[in-house]
Amino acid sequence: MSAAADGSGPTAKATTATTTDTSTTLKDQQKPAAALEEDDEFEDFPVDDWAPEESEVPPGQEGGTTHLWEESWDDDDTSEDFSKQLKEELAKVKGQK
Amino acid sequence: MEVLCREYWHANQEGSGPLLAATISPIAPPNYLNRLDAIYGDTNAASISRDISYSLTKTANAAIQYPNPEINSWTEIYSAYWYAIGAILAAEHPTTKPDWTKVYEAWKDVANTVIKGYSGGVLEAWTLPVLYTAGKHLRAFAIKADENARASGGDTSFNAGGLQEDIAGDFGKNEKLEDAARVINRMFTLCISDRAPLEESRKWGLYYTTNLLFKTYFKLNSIGLSKNILRALSASKTDTPTLEAFPRSHIVTFKYYVGVIQFLEEDYAQAEENLTSAWHMCHRSATRNIELILTYLIPTLLLTRQQLPSSRLLSLYPSLGSLFAPLTLAIRIGSLSAFDTALAEGEHEFVKRRIYLTLERGRDICLRNLLRKVYLAGDLDEEGKRNTRIYVKDFAAAIRLGESGASGEGMDVEMDGSAGENNDEVECLVANMIYKNLMKGYISRERGIVVLSKNGAFPGTGI
Repeated sequence: MSAAADGSGPTAKATTATTTDTSTTLKDQQKPAAALEEDDEFEDFPVDDWAPEESEVPPGQEGGTTHLWEESWDDDDTSEDFSKQLKEELAKVKGQK
Repeated sequence: MEVLCREYWHANQEGSGPLLAATISPIAPPNYLNRLDAIYGDTNAASISRDISYSLTKTANAAIQYPNPEINSWTEIYSAYWYAIGAILAAEHPTTKPDWTKVYEAWKDVANTVIKGYSGGVLEAWTLPVLYTAGKHLRAFAIKADENARASGGDTSFNAGGLQEDIAGDFGKNEKLEDAARVINRMFTLCISDRAPLEESRKWGLYYTTNLLFKTYFKLNSIGLSKNILRALSASKTDTPTLEAFPRSHIVTFKYYVGVIQFLEEDYAQAEENLTSAWHMCHRSATRNIELILTYLIPTLLLTRQQLPSSRLLSLYPSLGSLFAPLTLAIRIGSLSAFDTALAEGEHEFVKRRIYLTLERGRDICLRNLLRKVYLAGDLDEEGKRNTRIYVKDFAAAIRLGESGASGEGMDVEMDGSAGENNDEVECLVANMIYKNLMKGYISRERGIVVLSKNGAFPGTGI
């Protein structure tokens, strides 16, 4: 919902002088009709297109995402409480056999 | 009017769709905050059309031929725009009660004049961002109008019969957005039905308008309607540019919505493909969008690859961290009680995002991890091979522990009494695991043991 989406973004800086001039009267302090979009909605991108390198995972670098995902089990958790309890519990059951 | 008209000619000179679209933006640009007031104050209802037509002609660089369909079209569009500005300024005025319904109706006229410009063949394909701006704000104003109507609520119950009240009430609550969906659908049709050669075809507007419809249908909770659009797209595949040829913002949004639709239809393999692709291609500073993509990709990968987000990934997106971390941890350690707690505590958020049912299926993975631990805790024989015969009661003990949570209180009592019954249940759970190919082996009921496969007892988990 930003005005930049309409292509006026790049010119914003160069014309800040106009902004101060025009914002002097009370009537001009109109708020942009922002926040029309809902929180949970896919947002409009501020630009229409971008270079591949500006992507979250640029082409050719897909292999670099492996550290972001893990297998759903964990074998190195022997010190963790639940595993310990499980071992004790199993030992107890064994004792009953 | 001269400001508006100069902007118009400038955009034409540059051949810039975005600049042209900016001329009908209902939001003042940051560098010209009183743009709307200036345009509105420049004329009045009696002379608006004549003023615009005159100004457009006057500010043109070259002599204008008459009759000029382009000037006529834009005179219509800008007249409608002028009325819409009036409604917007009134709605934003601090002392009056905002009437967003009026804004919506006025903006709908803008959208309709724009549509007319395209269907009459006056507006060319390079001006498509104008169509986008018209559609985007139509939807936004419709949502505001409906919110407004709901807030002032109740006073529309002309139906005193009582019986039908609910239906009528339900139907009326998104009245303007449903109306907007029809207008946006016409925009989509404008794009898909264009037979012009590709370089100057409105087909380039297909994915933008599709995405706008998806957003609208999702908001209306009529996700099923998206299927019609997908069918139409696939039917016109042969004379449409490939998706990859479109701007990335169109592609990512499209893949996100298609991925979510497939996710909801439990077509997880396809969902994985589209969501992964959307995630990779998404602009790296569009954090919120990345979060939304991952919100669906995480449950998808849990089912398709039995993978979980790493703590590194979750730490990059704190809101995802609070959403998924407890569940992720529970699954990883195989604690059923922690899983149930996490699912119950996140229920509201999960249901809202429509991921509850998928996450619930993660309990199987959690159970698999628990049973896997029992197997790993078993003895090794002389040759260093792990014992593949596991007593059902061992599994039962693990499940009892897993379900009762970390505290061991009172467990011994339970163990004595209900062991027999429990074993039936446990056998059932194990059979289910085997059926789902999360475990390989068979149950020997007479001996009360589960015989696991010697190679790959828990497929895909390295043992």
